[in-house]
Amino acid sequence: METTLNKKTRSALSVAAIALFLVLVYFGDIMISPGSSWKMLITVIEKGSIYALVAASMNLLNGFTGLFSLGQAGFMLIGAYTYAIFTIPAASHDAVYQYFDGGIIKWSLVEVLEGSLGVFGHYLGMLLPMLGAGLIVAAIAFLIGIPVLRLKSDYLAIATLGFAEILRAFFQWNTLGPVTNGSNVLRKYTTYGNAIFPVLIGGICIAIILLLINSTYGRAFRAIRDDEIAAEAMGINLFKHKELSFVISSFFAGIGGALLAMFQTTINATPFNTVMTYEILLIVVIGGIGSITGSVIGAFLFTAASEWWLRGLDAGKWLGISASFMRPGFRKVVFAILIMLIVLFYSRGIMGDKEFSWERFIDWWKNLPANLKSWPERRKAKASARREARNAKAAAKARAKEAKSSNEARMASGEALFTPLPVSDTVMVFDKEGK
Amino acid sequence: MDNREVVLRLSDITMQFGGVVAVDNLNLVVHKNEIVGLIGPNGAGKTTAFNCITGVYEPTNGSVEINGEVVIENHPQGKMKEAYKGRNAGKYTRALTMLPDKVTKLGVARTFQNIRLFKGMSVLENVMVAMHMNQTESVFGATFRSRKARSEEAAMRAEAEELLRKVDLYENRNDLATSLPYGKQRHLEIARALATHPSILLLDEPAAGMNPQESDDLMKFIGRIRDEFDLSILMIEHHMQVIMGICEHIYVLNYGGQIADGTAAEIQANPAVIEAYLGGDE
Amino acid sequence: MLHTWLPYILAGIAVGGQYALIAIGYTMVYGILRLINFAHGDVFMWSGLIMVYLITVLPLWVSVILVIIFAIVLGTTIEKVAYRPLRSAPRMSIMISAIGVSYLLQNFALYITGGLTKTYPEIGFLQKTVKIGSATTKMVTVITPVLTIVLVFLLVMLIKHTKIGMAMRAVSRDFETSSLMGIDINRVITVTFVIGCGLAAIGSVLYFSNYTGINPMSGAMPGLKAFVAAVFGGIGSVPGAVVGAFVIGICENLIKGAGWTTFSDAFTFVLLIVILMVKPTGLFGEKNIDKV
Repeated sequence: METTLNKKTRSALSVAAIALFLVLVYFGDIMISPGSSWKMLITVIEKGSIYALVAASMNLLNGFTGLFSLGQAGFMLIGAYTYAIFTIPAASHDAVYQYFDGGIIKWSLVEVLEGSLGVFGHYLGMLLPMLGAGLIVAAIAFLIGIPVLRLKSDYLAIATLGFAEILRAFFQWNTLGPVTNGSNVLRKYTTYGNAIFPVLIGGICIAIILLLINSTYGRAFRAIRDDEIAAEAMGINLFKHKELSFVISSFFAGIGGALLAMFQTTINATPFNTVMTYEILLIVVIGGIGSITGSVIGAFLFTAASEWWLRGLDAGKWLGISASFMRPGFRKVVFAILIMLIVLFYSRGIMGDKEFSWERFIDWWKNLPANLKSWPERRKAKASARREARNAKAAAKARAKEAKSSNEARMASGEALFTPLPVSDTVMVFDKEGK
Repeated sequence: MDNREVVLRLSDITMQFGGVVAVDNLNLVVHKNEIVGLIGPNGAGKTTAFNCITGVYEPTNGSVEINGEVVIENHPQGKMKEAYKGRNAGKYTRALTMLPDKVTKLGVARTFQNIRLFKGMSVLENVMVAMHMNQTESVFGATFRSRKARSEEAAMRAEAEELLRKVDLYENRNDLATSLPYGKQRHLEIARALATHPSILLLDEPAAGMNPQESDDLMKFIGRIRDEFDLSILMIEHHMQVIMGICEHIYVLNYGGQIADGTAAEIQANPAVIEAYLGGDE
Repeated sequence: MLHTWLPYILAGIAVGGQYALIAIGYTMVYGILRLINFAHGDVFMWSGLIMVYLITVLPLWVSVILVIIFAIVLGTTIEKVAYRPLRSAPRMSIMISAIGVSYLLQNFALYITGGLTKTYPEIGFLQKTVKIGSATTKMVTVITPVLTIVLVFLLVMLIKHTKIGMAMRAVSRDFETSSLMGIDINRVITVTFVIGCGLAAIGSVLYFSNYTGINPMSGAMPGLKAFVAAVFGGIGSVPGAVVGAFVIGICENLIKGAGWTTFSDAFTFVLLIVILMVKPTGLFGEKNIDKV
């Protein structure tokens, strides 16, 4: 039985769920004492929201436009630096830029606006550099996109990766030190006070990405992903739309970078390397390429697993098991193996290319008892299907072997192997590329 | 002589890949509301000719005129200057190119030999994508659902549904495009091409893989859309039944070269055509 | 003039030779599977790590041979486990799988080493100082280019004149047709990985004896640079990859010599982007025409 809800009910449910979540996060952050192990939950929510935004922006590019870009970390780097540079309090400049005479920007946008507008100015002073971060990243992406987006799949991947590395080198360049602090960390810039801040900003940005995907432009993006040549034949300007997707994706990566800077409280260009891009890509894969919901779920699972649930693996004790091989680093190994298993055996990810819907959510819960009950049977059915497939494969192999040996015998006896194909007026060739 | 207006004219179109001349001096004319056939054995260069018209390939030499205006023209340049094997090398001097999306905007729509539908999209969305180029709202307005964006989206949807009704796919509008049976996929591809508001429709083997009954239906369908949408049609086809049934004028290619053109009856009697298809005496 | 630059040029030639040995693995795998084997740089790094552990218990020559065998086993296993099941999947999936393997290898190395930089064993014979003109340099600098050229020559002979080489050329030209013609694709791919990884292992011995330490991220940069070298030379072409590797190695060291060390890594990518813009098929690459 399938549930159907009208539009009003659906929006009411969504608003209620979002409001409840925000309230829980807000008060959760206030009430949970810093020493509690539940504080980890708040950390996961903060970092998860930021990664969700970045993963969604990458999904817009990789999953919805079919552009395999690996430049995300580079764009986040610019975003993080842009935000940090404009919000370091004037009094801290000498300490932060100790090797560069206090830097050349001697003011903080937060302080300037707070001075004239009060609390409102404080937040405006945080939002403006964030927006600026997004816009600067978008502008840089626009320029990079002009040469890069003409390249095909894997060349595009390696070229974007290359640009990200160039950007990283640029930000560590000592000549730019008065602005970027060279290879030293940037710190003491303004950060948010409550976990609700990244959740809210990340949520709004993801909502905008969703709106874009469901607009006529989003449809054009998906057309390019499915078939570039057909899309072009339908009058879609490939370059313009790829550039659009690239710039918008980078804009949000920039905002994500700014949020990450706030979350970490200090930043340095070094960790914004290929590993960070790989991690974001893997989040997208875990969630499902082509599903924003998937990216969000993937981001939270990824951060929860790596920051919280698997922590015990590093400490030597996990779920009551303790072993000597559980030493620092073991968590990441287990984690990487889990990811490989998903990539190999569950390549559609958690959501495939589907998005969250209340109907499906309700149905899932409704059917859960029945599904649980029938689970052993389904497992048996699956096992027998697998056995059958194995047998069939073995039989096919045996046949092929036999055919090969008989061919060899025939070849040895001098018989011609190839018989001409029957001549017909049409020979059909099916497209081999499946989904 | 046909005194209807010429909507598409290929003059000396030659396409050479390296040392291989895929299309050799093709001269072809499509008049308004005419259905023209392009036939020839496999590898004769028919699809390559389509690709030259639609801007997928840049022809090596020759020009393409759409609705009275030369929009694509080229002459052998660079390395091709010496390697060029075709004729009429000095006749063209300009180098006009056009990307496929621009050609579509000029009113030339096409279908593909191996159906190229958007796999991840519904039938309705496949058609709506083709209308994207005619909408005027910016990406900003479209994302934030401005009044204009909403009205454009509604108009697009209404038109797409109307179009699907005309090609008997309305019932399937929410199905995944690739889940349709083969024959319906062909129809959808044509509907999608029609959604770009073309004046010239290029069909690349629309009847491929169809049984006689299906190709008969397709033939009627092509005739119907020609009248209904005021189209001129150029089609590549192997089914002689379809070609001979609806084409007013037929061009025959073999090894890239044009070996004959004329009405169905003329083509059927042409010895060069018979030789190309059945092979001559060695 | 030459006096000041000679050491950098020599170092560049040496590093170029080492990149070349890695780049061959990239270019051959790409030529056949159309896959950027992101894990190749990590196989290279792991060869270095294994050397660190083996040398403590075994004599040098045995260790080197074991390292080569290890790299080959690792490479072919990766192919079997992570790439073969996805052969009919979309291009993006197999690329993601390669990235996943790279992530796994790096994290596993992180676990084994505890995140510490390991000291690479000193191979006395490679460390001997030699005088070339006005510059003094290590033996490895002289041996690398010579060994690289010899190995590449052997490889080119193998590709040109043996049956398996012919099969490789056929598969790289047209994967499907050659499988229809009865070429054992799996065997060709395995041989490709064996050659690629074996050369990377030799490269690792030469490369790391130039540096004091090795850590889990040591493979990433040389790997990427070698890939760029392969693209520069025209991916799929072995001589192209070698030429590309020497160009990158020399330019990089000249840039270091000019005092722009921060940008020596970035230069590689500038080169990549320039070549992709100007001649996307690389120096010796062939043009592919997409069929519509």
